[in-house]
Amino acid sequence: MVDYDRRPHGPRGGRKRRYREEDDYDRRQRRRYEEPLFVKVRRQLLTIAESAARRAEDDAIHIARTVAENYGDDEIKAVFLDTAIELILEQPLKIPFIAATVLAANALNSEPVTDILKRAGESLQGYIDAGAWREVKLLLRFLGCLQGVFEGEGIFPVLEEIFARAVDLQTASSEDASNPLLGLELVKIILFILPYVMASPATGFEPQATALLEKTDIIASTPHALVDLVNPFSLPEHRLTATESIISLMQRQLQEESSRSWELACLPRPWKRISETLESQNETQVEVQDGEEAESPRALTFATKHAFPRVIIPNPVYNGARAIFPEIYLSVYTNQDIETVPPTSDIASSLLRDSLVDTINILDFNRIATAKYLIDVDCYFTPNTFVKRATPFDRLRELPADRPQWKPEDVAVDAVFSQLFQLPCPEHKFIYYHSVLTECCKIAPAAIAPSLGRAIRFLYRSLETIDLDLSHRFLDWFSHHLSNFGFTWKWSEWIEDLELPAIHPRMAFIAGALDKEIRLSFAQRIRGTLPDPYQELITEGKEKDIPDFKYMFDTTPYAKEGKEIMQLVRKKASDDEIQPFIQAIEEQAKSLGVDDPLLPSTDAFVTAICFVGSKSLSHVLSCIERNKERLLAIGPKSPQAQRQIITSVMNYWVDQPGIGINIIDKLLNYTILTPLSVVEWALVDSLEAGTVLAKPHIFEMISATVGKVTNRLRQIVAARTQSSLYEPQLSVLDETLKREKADMQALFRVIEDSIVSVAGGSNDELMERGDGSGTMPEDEIIRRWGQRWLRVFRRRAGVEESFIVEAMTKAIPVGTVAPSPVPDELIASERVPSNGDMDLTEMVQEN
Amino acid sequence: MSTPLHNTVERLDRPSAYYAGKNKKRKYSDDGPERQEDPFDHLKNATTLYVGNLSFYTTEEQIHELFAKCGEIKRLVMGLDRFNKTPCGFCFVEYYTHQDALDCLKYIGGTKLDERIIRTDLDPGFEEGRQYGRGKSGGQVRDEYREEYDPGRGGYGRAYADDQRRREEEEYGKGR
Repeated sequence: MVDYDRRPHGPRGGRKRRYREEDDYDRRQRRRYEEPLFVKVRRQLLTIAESAARRAEDDAIHIARTVAENYGDDEIKAVFLDTAIELILEQPLKIPFIAATVLAANALNSEPVTDILKRAGESLQGYIDAGAWREVKLLLRFLGCLQGVFEGEGIFPVLEEIFARAVDLQTASSEDASNPLLGLELVKIILFILPYVMASPATGFEPQATALLEKTDIIASTPHALVDLVNPFSLPEHRLTATESIISLMQRQLQEESSRSWELACLPRPWKRISETLESQNETQVEVQDGEEAESPRALTFATKHAFPRVIIPNPVYNGARAIFPEIYLSVYTNQDIETVPPTSDIASSLLRDSLVDTINILDFNRIATAKYLIDVDCYFTPNTFVKRATPFDRLRELPADRPQWKPEDVAVDAVFSQLFQLPCPEHKFIYYHSVLTECCKIAPAAIAPSLGRAIRFLYRSLETIDLDLSHRFLDWFSHHLSNFGFTWKWSEWIEDLELPAIHPRMAFIAGALDKEIRLSFAQRIRGTLPDPYQELITEGKEKDIPDFKYMFDTTPYAKEGKEIMQLVRKKASDDEIQPFIQAIEEQAKSLGVDDPLLPSTDAFVTAICFVGSKSLSHVLSCIERNKERLLAIGPKSPQAQRQIITSVMNYWVDQPGIGINIIDKLLNYTILTPLSVVEWALVDSLEAGTVLAKPHIFEMISATVGKVTNRLRQIVAARTQSSLYEPQLSVLDETLKREKADMQALFRVIEDSIVSVAGGSNDELMERGDGSGTMPEDEIIRRWGQRWLRVFRRRAGVEESFIVEAMTKAIPVGTVAPSPVPDELIASERVPSNGDMDLTEMVQEN
Repeated sequence: MSTPLHNTVERLDRPSAYYAGKNKKRKYSDDGPERQEDPFDHLKNATTLYVGNLSFYTTEEQIHELFAKCGEIKRLVMGLDRFNKTPCGFCFVEYYTHQDALDCLKYIGGTKLDERIIRTDLDPGFEEGRQYGRGKSGGQVRDEYREEYDPGRGGYGRAYADDQRRREEEEYGKGR
């Protein structure tokens, strides 16, 4: 096997073993022996279909033969069953080849097949009970590929039963919001198994398939209300044809395919060659059947038949840990003059995407392996489905147009972006998808880099219409990606856009990307990567490690006191020593007629902290820590002064807003700031006729603040919905939940109320801009920012709301008392303090 | 729900061979009753990572910017030269959750920060004193004897550079 682990071990890259260990001895010993057969079988199974140089079919026959002939060996038996199931669940691209191996084995010895069916059935039952529907899909797909070995109708009765559950969920009372989506998920499973059944050697199942497809149509083709919520393109006039959900798309594609006798061109049929090979080898043994067409794979179909594994599908079915949302098919390669990925009219678009997406999401524990399988995508589908790897885009024009010109790199990259841009959020952290793209680029730079380039251009062109959440994911990925590749990008191609107004989405993107690049590197370095016209975007202030302290200039009001306070903060003076100068500022301010004298004193104090702590994050943190009491006292005295803290921080770090945001984040943790103060500061105080909405770092700040609140609430929900919880803790937690939920709703309301006027164009300041007509070109841009912001935060509010509703269906009702004084429960109750302010993380982890 | 006993590809969220080796050595030299102890037990709920191969010039802010992509950072401790108290190319990053630390191993270890491939390793937790380099001249041990020139980590290894200088001086003397 390839050694994926290129991380250096130890100080010398692991090459030099400084200590002789006992396994050195083992290794020398082992060399004398041949690799045990079971080790070889595992290795061969694991790497099946991986090499373009060898035929997967030959490997399948070889493995099948070894297993069939040595099945009496317990180690062979165990390794075959374990590895096959593990591969089905972890590497879905290989399912047709594992199935082909099993088919070949069945022609030689039916015992391994009996066992693997039993094992798959048991595993399947476990995942059905747990509500792990992706695993159910993969195991059923494997069984679907084996349709030919089953007695009677094989997989169809199970698919019918799953469909019946979906119908039950659809028609059940709509009070439980999660149920209709689970029903859709079940239909999706059926749709993504069916093609594999029809591409299997089994024949004569067209009527069953068509009948099933007619039934699923009602559910799959009905547009779901939530589809709009997850549409990557947000503005009404720019919604592409993509508003169709993946399920209705697949339904349409399958119907199309059924009318073309289930051609399913891209699905591999390794069993064909296996059947031929086995037949030619067994010519003398298998009698030629009269009247049969030579097309049907005799060696496989006349082998032993098995019963389909018995599985019980509970009623009603249950959904596991993964939240279900409708999915939309997104491609970053639409509207090209050459189709480099399958169009949505072709079922290959769905089939390729489905297998790749599962591979990506399952293998998050090894991004390098994921990248390798993505690069090798052409090995796992019918040969010639794709053009040769790394064929340049411009060369596609020269190829004959009578067959698809799909680039394997584009299909792979597209699948990763579909996950990075999954709404409301992907299965893993965004950075996982970044890292997969990084690895792809490392493995095959010449092939992947141009594909990424075209993806970037598509996304850049879509900046005005794409969902705002996604445009920020793009920004974050783009800057992070470049940081892994020497910050090289063809900036010259966007020079023309530098003429656009600063609030234009493209300018906002460019400014945001450069800012993020600088945050991962430093201004001078980034300056060096930019063509001349961009130079002015890297201002002098960005290159300053320590921004000026404004009180150093005597023209600044309260300069003298400001300097004194700074010196005291630097000397780690006590609060009592600082107080006189604070007071001096406040008295001066009062005499000048300032409404809230706390504002100038807070400004001086916080700016001094920022300046003294400007050397690094830990410096500012220890400064904050030392002056915590005074900072904590500001908020309760005056909400304006609390927002002044934010103003002071963000003004001090105006050229490096990333550092400012970070400090704000820490101040939230210290509860020196409240989430509400951050939102009000940005969207009420600094709204500036809505232009603030164009600033990427403001979105980042609000997004992070909202994230903090929703995370906390989710922790409370997790604590509240623990299974072994009784009174009095139940009521305590329930109160906490109610209180914090109301706070969260209030926060969302403030966001909504401040943006809605911008989005609708009724914001006073917005209306007073220019000639007051509200028809300046920039006014329209601002309104669009408002609409896009609104959409993002409405969705977040909706997602959290439905999360709570769904989670609470499993919660033990308030008032439930422990059944009997079990000692364990008493211990548990001691952990919960009566005020409800427990460390929630710890509680959840312990359970 | 049953998860597979073995993964079909290696997992990147395991402690490194360095950690295992370091502890194995201790285990065998002691030969005491704790012989049976699994060295990875200390890492079962670890939330801290050792981060290595940083440039001496990489700042806390840069580290924060990258590592926060795996979750909120609870604490960041820069590795310092024992004598100069200047960064010497490593740090400890502490998250709030074990899962965030594992994700960091999977998604950040082996990628670039400040244009250097960085190394991450699960760590049982920061203790006072561990922020200092253990090399003779105050930095990390690896920077004492390094024979390659690394501009991000103070040029040649310190001991190696001293050695080189001495040799050059001797040669120069001979020539005269």
